[in-house]
Amino acid sequence: MPINYKNGIINEHLRVRNQAGIFDVSHMGQILIPLTQDNIKSLEKFIPLNINNISSNKCHYSFILNSNGGILDDIMLSKITYIKNEYIYIVYNSSRKSVLEEIFKKTVRNYEIIENRCLIAIQGPESFASLKEILNLSQNMNFLNISVIQYNVSDVIISRSGYTGEDGFELSIINKHAEEFLTKLLQKNIILCGLGCRDSLRVEAGLSLYGNEINENISPIQAGLSWAIDKTRLIDNSLNCSSILTEQLNSPKSIKKIGLIPVNKTMLRANMPLCNEAKKEIGYITSGCYSPILKCSIGIGYINKISDMSEVIFVKVRDKFEELKIEKIPFIKKNYKKGDVND
Amino acid sequence: MIEKKYTEDHEWVQMDGDMATVGITNHAQESLGDIVFIDLPTVGKVVKAKDELCVIESVKAASDIYSPIDGEVSEVNEKLSDEAALVNQDAENEGWIFKIKVSNTDQFQDLMSLEQYLAFLEN
Repeated sequence: MPINYKNGIINEHLRVRNQAGIFDVSHMGQILIPLTQDNIKSLEKFIPLNINNISSNKCHYSFILNSNGGILDDIMLSKITYIKNEYIYIVYNSSRKSVLEEIFKKTVRNYEIIENRCLIAIQGPESFASLKEILNLSQNMNFLNISVIQYNVSDVIISRSGYTGEDGFELSIINKHAEEFLTKLLQKNIILCGLGCRDSLRVEAGLSLYGNEINENISPIQAGLSWAIDKTRLIDNSLNCSSILTEQLNSPKSIKKIGLIPVNKTMLRANMPLCNEAKKEIGYITSGCYSPILKCSIGIGYINKISDMSEVIFVKVRDKFEELKIEKIPFIKKNYKKGDVND
Repeated sequence: MIEKKYTEDHEWVQMDGDMATVGITNHAQESLGDIVFIDLPTVGKVVKAKDELCVIESVKAASDIYSPIDGEVSEVNEKLSDEAALVNQDAENEGWIFKIKVSNTDQFQDLMSLEQYLAFLEN
């Protein structure tokens, strides 16, 4: 996947926000694990979900955790029926393939790492209208629903999800059908988009990126993602880090995730130090980019919770200190298609 | 006589008497992608060739711009403060970045001609 195609990052970004764009995210990991009680028991040692209780045909944002509660990866997990069998389908980061696949090898049985399918994301307000001309899509499919549908006599795993804050879909499609499918989509005034706008779109939407906001030394609770943990799993010793996470949940937070916008023109980039008025370091920027919607730079960062939130925050850009405003995350209103509010 | 030369850092330098106008080449703006902010140098700053003088921020990355020549910054393109994308649109004319009153004009002759720069890009 290139940084951008010929239209450039800003144009691609705006197309996704206003119409629709395509991301070829086939580099991501996909795995099918038979839905057996043994496999569930193994996965629940490091995934903070109650897999028996989650609804089928629904995607769940979750994590693979180490024994300290650190995040080995963030994942999308769902229970699907595929060729008449029930599976746990997990999509994971390509940069974490070797770590995760080693874990799967040691813990679950009869799984299949999917190598013969592309993963294509169609994102933007016009994605449903464009896709329904090609695929038999249900009007009732809402944000985070997932199902298996037919295309060219083969199964497509399709979810209404994405990584941009827009309405959209992710399709897992057999390699040999992917090119024809993409060619049809590209005739519908949708453009291919690259990694550059994938990053600026997810930062505007306040979504975490592995290696930036989250890593092996940060737990979901520290990263402000405790909403994605099934709290019943914290009183359950079968989760390898339940006591550590419980303690973190009940203690004052050590770090806080904040959204940032510079007062004057400058560009925020990952790893720039955040400082207080006395220019003492109190945190760092995890992600920074130019927001084509807000027409300025935006950033996400962590600050030590002990620092006084009322004080002025500065970022050190090369040899200068630039003043920042704290902003709510997400920076833009998310545009998901929700049906039932309890979904 | 007005003469234009190029540096290995993908800058163009147009010399008029002892005044050098400097910008980045069209090739440079294409590889940087959308330019969103330029941290312009301070007028009056005295610089040596190869000194870091300002920073161009594109959606992809921050890039240092070096002074191609010894001298003093005499003017900056204020238009770029509000419209950094001008460098994408017209890198080698309207998108000039700063002017330097040159103290050592001999250095200009060491820069590359257009032909040399194009050959440099080929390699």
